[in-house]
Amino acid sequence: MRRHLPASELARDERFHTITMRDRMADPRAGRGRFEGDNGRRSNRLTPDLPSASEAARSMMHGIFVGEIQALEGAGRTCFDFDDIPFALKLDMARQAWDEARHVEISVKLSAWMGTEIGQFAENTVLFEAACSADPVMRLAGVNRALEGLAIDVFTTMKAFGELAGDPFLEFCEDWMLADEVTHVKMGSDWLRRLTESDPQRRAAALEFQSVVDKLFSYGGTRSDSDESMIGLARRFRELAGFTDDEISHIADVSDEALSEAKARKQAVRAGAGA
Amino acid sequence: MTVAVTPEVFRFVQYDAAEIAAVVEDLLGRLGLAGTRVALDVDETTPLTRVVVHEGDPLRIEAGSGALEDTRVPRTFSPTAAQVNVGRVLLRRRDRSGAAFAAAPDDAGLSLAELAAWDVTCVGRLARAGVRVHADRWRYNLRNRIGFTDATDAVFDRLWATDDASWFDIAAACGAVTP
Repeated sequence: MRRHLPASELARDERFHTITMRDRMADPRAGRGRFEGDNGRRSNRLTPDLPSASEAARSMMHGIFVGEIQALEGAGRTCFDFDDIPFALKLDMARQAWDEARHVEISVKLSAWMGTEIGQFAENTVLFEAACSADPVMRLAGVNRALEGLAIDVFTTMKAFGELAGDPFLEFCEDWMLADEVTHVKMGSDWLRRLTESDPQRRAAALEFQSVVDKLFSYGGTRSDSDESMIGLARRFRELAGFTDDEISHIADVSDEALSEAKARKQAVRAGAGA
Repeated sequence: MTVAVTPEVFRFVQYDAAEIAAVVEDLLGRLGLAGTRVALDVDETTPLTRVVVHEGDPLRIEAGSGALEDTRVPRTFSPTAAQVNVGRVLLRRRDRSGAAFAAAPDDAGLSLAELAAWDVTCVGRLARAGVRVHADRWRYNLRNRIGFTDATDAVFDRLWATDDASWFDIAAACGAVTP
C-alpha cells in the first residue's frame, strides 16, 4: 500500500464534492452584498435564536462529519506511514482511528436527524492536508493539537446549541464526542513533548506549524473568544486537554487576529464597492 | 418568457440567467401561476439565502445568490434550491392574498416559529407540485423553533399535508392561539 497519500487522492464516492481552502478563499462574495446578515444581530455565535440557525447547524454538522472522516484517515495514515515512531504512538493513533470511525457513524446519524443528506455540502479537505506532513511531530501538532483542538471548540458550541434548542440527541452525542476529542488532544500534546524532548528546534517548528493551522482554522473569524465568531473558544475543555494558559492565550490571539483581518477585508470590500 | 433575470451575465458566481429564468418559469407553471410576470434580481455579491418579494407588475423578487446555490458545489446554480427558495415566497405571497391569512403580520413581523410553520405548509405543497424537497430538513427547522416533541411532529405532519392552511393554523402551531 502506498504511503503519504495526498488529499487529492482521498477515496470518495460520487456523493462527495471536495474543495480546498484555496477554493474557499477564492469566493469573491465574502463581505459584499446588499443584504445584511441575520437581521443585524450583534452576536454571530451559533445559537437557536439565529434566523439561519437550522441551516447553519446542518452545515456545521456536515462539516463535522467530513472532518471526522478526514481525522480517521489522518490517524490511520500516521499509523501506517512511519516505521520509525514508537509502537505506543501507533497504538494511540489506532485507538484514535477507532474513535473517529465511531464519530463518523454518529455524525451520519445526527446529520440524517437534522435533515441532511451525505454530501449535501462541499467537503473542505484542509483537515486532511494538515495530516500530510512527512514529519510525524508536525502531524501531531497540526492534527491532534490544532484540528482536534478546533473540534473541542466546535463540539462545545454544538452541544450548547443542542441544549438551548432542547435537542436531546445533538446535546448527548456532541458531549460524548467531545470527551474523545479532549483525549485526542492530550495524546497529541504528550507525544509532541516526548518526541521533541531533546530537540527544541523541532518542537518550536511543530508549534509554529500548529499556530499556522490554528489561524487557518480561524479563517474569516469563524472561531474566537468574541461573540462575533460563530464558534467560541472552549477554554475549560482545552485546559482539560492539556493546553497551558499561555497556549490558550496564544490561540485566542491568533483567532482574534483572524477575526480582525476578516473584518478589515469586509470593510475594504464595502468601501471599494461604495467608491 | 415571463421571467426576466438580472444581471444578465454573472461575474461572482457561475450562474446562467437564461437557465434561471427557465427554472422559475417552470416553477410558476407548477404552482398555477403561469403568465405571472416576474423580475428576478439576483444579488450575486452575497452568499446569503434571503429572498424578498416586492408587489407590482412585474412582481419583483430580490434574491441573494445563496438562495439559488448548489451547496455541494459552491458558486454553481441549483435548480432545486431555486425552486424551493423562490417557491416558498411565492406561495406565502399567494396565501396572503386570501382571507384566511388576513390577520397574518407582514414578513418582518413574523416570529421564527411562525415562519418555520408557514414554510412547512409551503414546502409540503412544493413537494406535491413535483419539486424535489427533503422533508426532514423542514421538520428539523420546525423542531428547533417549537420543540423536539411528538406534538411538534404531529403539527409538522398536519401542516405538511394540507393545501389550505390558514393563519389560524400557523399561529396555533406556534402556540400563539388555542385551536
